[in-house]
Amino acid sequence: MNSKQILSLDSLKIGYVSGNQKSVLLPPLTATANTGELVAVIGRNGIGKSTLLRTLTGIQESLGGEVFFAGKDMRDYSRTELAQKVGYISTEIVKVHNMTVHDLVALGRFPHTNWIGKITSTDDEKIMDAIEKTSMLAFRNKFISELSDGERQKAMIARILAQDTDIMVMDEPTAFLDIGSKYEIMNLLHVLSQKSEKTIIFSTHDLHMAISQSDKVWLILDNQLLEGAPEDLMIEGAFDHLFESSSVHFNSENGTFSFRGENRGSLYVEGDGLIKYWTKEAITRAGFSLSDEITKPYIKVNMGNKNKWQFVSLNSVEEFYSIYELVCRLQKEDFRSI
Amino acid sequence: MKTVKYIATADSPKSLNRGKYLFGVLIITVVSLLIFDIFFGSVSIKASDVVKALFSHDGSTFETIIMKFRFPKAITAFTVGAALSLSGLQMQTVFRNPMAGPDVLGISSGASLGVAFVILGFSGSITTDSINGLGNWILVAASWLGAGAVMFLIMILSSRVKDIMTILIIGIMFSSGISAIVTIMQYFSNETMLKAYVIWTMGSLGNLTSNQLNVLLISVSAGAILSLISTKRLNALLLGENYAASIGLNVRFARFLIFACTSIMAGSVTAFCGPIAFIGIAVPHMTRILFKTADHSILIPGTFLTGGAVMLLSDIISQLPGSESVLPVNSVTSLIGIPVVIWVILRNRKYSTLF
Repeated sequence: MNSKQILSLDSLKIGYVSGNQKSVLLPPLTATANTGELVAVIGRNGIGKSTLLRTLTGIQESLGGEVFFAGKDMRDYSRTELAQKVGYISTEIVKVHNMTVHDLVALGRFPHTNWIGKITSTDDEKIMDAIEKTSMLAFRNKFISELSDGERQKAMIARILAQDTDIMVMDEPTAFLDIGSKYEIMNLLHVLSQKSEKTIIFSTHDLHMAISQSDKVWLILDNQLLEGAPEDLMIEGAFDHLFESSSVHFNSENGTFSFRGENRGSLYVEGDGLIKYWTKEAITRAGFSLSDEITKPYIKVNMGNKNKWQFVSLNSVEEFYSIYELVCRLQKEDFRSI
Repeated sequence: MKTVKYIATADSPKSLNRGKYLFGVLIITVVSLLIFDIFFGSVSIKASDVVKALFSHDGSTFETIIMKFRFPKAITAFTVGAALSLSGLQMQTVFRNPMAGPDVLGISSGASLGVAFVILGFSGSITTDSINGLGNWILVAASWLGAGAVMFLIMILSSRVKDIMTILIIGIMFSSGISAIVTIMQYFSNETMLKAYVIWTMGSLGNLTSNQLNVLLISVSAGAILSLISTKRLNALLLGENYAASIGLNVRFARFLIFACTSIMAGSVTAFCGPIAFIGIAVPHMTRILFKTADHSILIPGTFLTGGAVMLLSDIISQLPGSESVLPVNSVTSLIGIPVVIWVILRNRKYSTLF
């Protein structure tokens, strides 16, 4: 396992220097990543995710501790060597007029070309390969100002692919994207880490996506950095720390969230299949908890040629023909006393 | 991999051909304008006499007009246009600001402050007429320093303020501040110095001594070579400093190199020809429209030629061919440049902070 380790942070201190004043953002961070891993960096807004990523890329100075790329201290790399080792995509949107996708991707060859930037046939191959892997061939001669947000992000990814680095660092690569592009980009990152053996460190606020897609999570909390497979962290209940003071609750059983609103008592749902699943979702949203044992009153779902919901209480049975009607009825109820 | 190679060569020559074709057209345009500029002026000379004056040395009045006046003036026009445009292009890329240019950001004012220090600051024995040899270099160096100082200040401010219109306003403030300083200097200077300075501020392409023209040509050539060296760096800077640094650019050194280069070019032009407006900001945009690219390996030679052509055209127009009066060249360049600048502002209002 250790032989595959490509990146390690050892008591890394991140933060800003202004004048003689150093302001360190977080306690020293220690973490690792292996070749071909998709690592999600998670933490609340403003905790220092972007600062960490910039420090890893060498754009920002570290305030102490070490970063090792392939076992070699980051400070022992020259500017160009570092750029051949690690690539970076920030949240900054690049909008340059008259720049084609091909031109943009070609800029990724910067650390590999000579002083005037001459593109050799090897460079050309790498550029075309990157464009092909991100399925941007059809957009190759389009100006980047004409692309959609998702296409532009793919072009940016093609650019660091052309840079030919082992490690790719991306700051919120799926922010601002519509849901389709979001999954497309995530899938692309997944494929790149699997097939091209790229180690991808990306920050995200989409916890659900991070948990389901990444090989490893670096969870940044105010007092420490926790790392591990998302499932490991889930078992430890680590994600709960993200929402300590808020009314949001993270369900470690299935990796979803719920709002810790008022609890209006528990209900049992009888039935099966898809209809039962979604009924349960709706009831939870309405503020009830689900019971495994039969309660009075309870909900009975029937799937037939017409879906039907029954609200069975002690002395009556009410019928509804949509989840919406059912939830409207339940709004009036509070079963805590029962 | 074979298919990839095929695609790579399939359509790239097309855009390459477009570039080559355009460069051909530009070179022909420049040469024609150069000839036109020599053949037509406020004194009408027959074409045959012009040719005779160019290739013989009979000491006629025509020869004096052509060889001592029109020819150097045409060369000056080309050089001035090329230098201002090239410095404008680089400033637009470094500041990631389509409104950047030597005159709008106060760089030319900075250069004129340097000139004012030399002309007004020293004893009355130095005038534009008596400046020669080493004196020209002192004048130019003062101009470079003034331009560089303003450039440096703008750079510091633009790292804090991202909005291009704000930076533009700050540039205007700088210009006003500098003219205030110059006015104070004028107030305390004697009549001879004042006269020399006022003549300089009027700006002209035709008042250069051959020594001054040499200094201008050497400085601008140095600047042009520096720009060619910066090609790769400028391309990287298009993406902004963070990205440029992430692909291995030494941003601080790149900035220094580019600032030195633009200060030399804009400073030298301002030192000898006075402030010339709107060429530096407008021509890079014209070149981008023409070549439809952001690649500096094309934009640098393209801007150089386009700038030269536009300045030659401005000079021809200012002669008012067929009449005996001459317009100030500064007004002509403004009238050509301003529509382009307005077009750029209108096009960019959607994302005013972005290039």
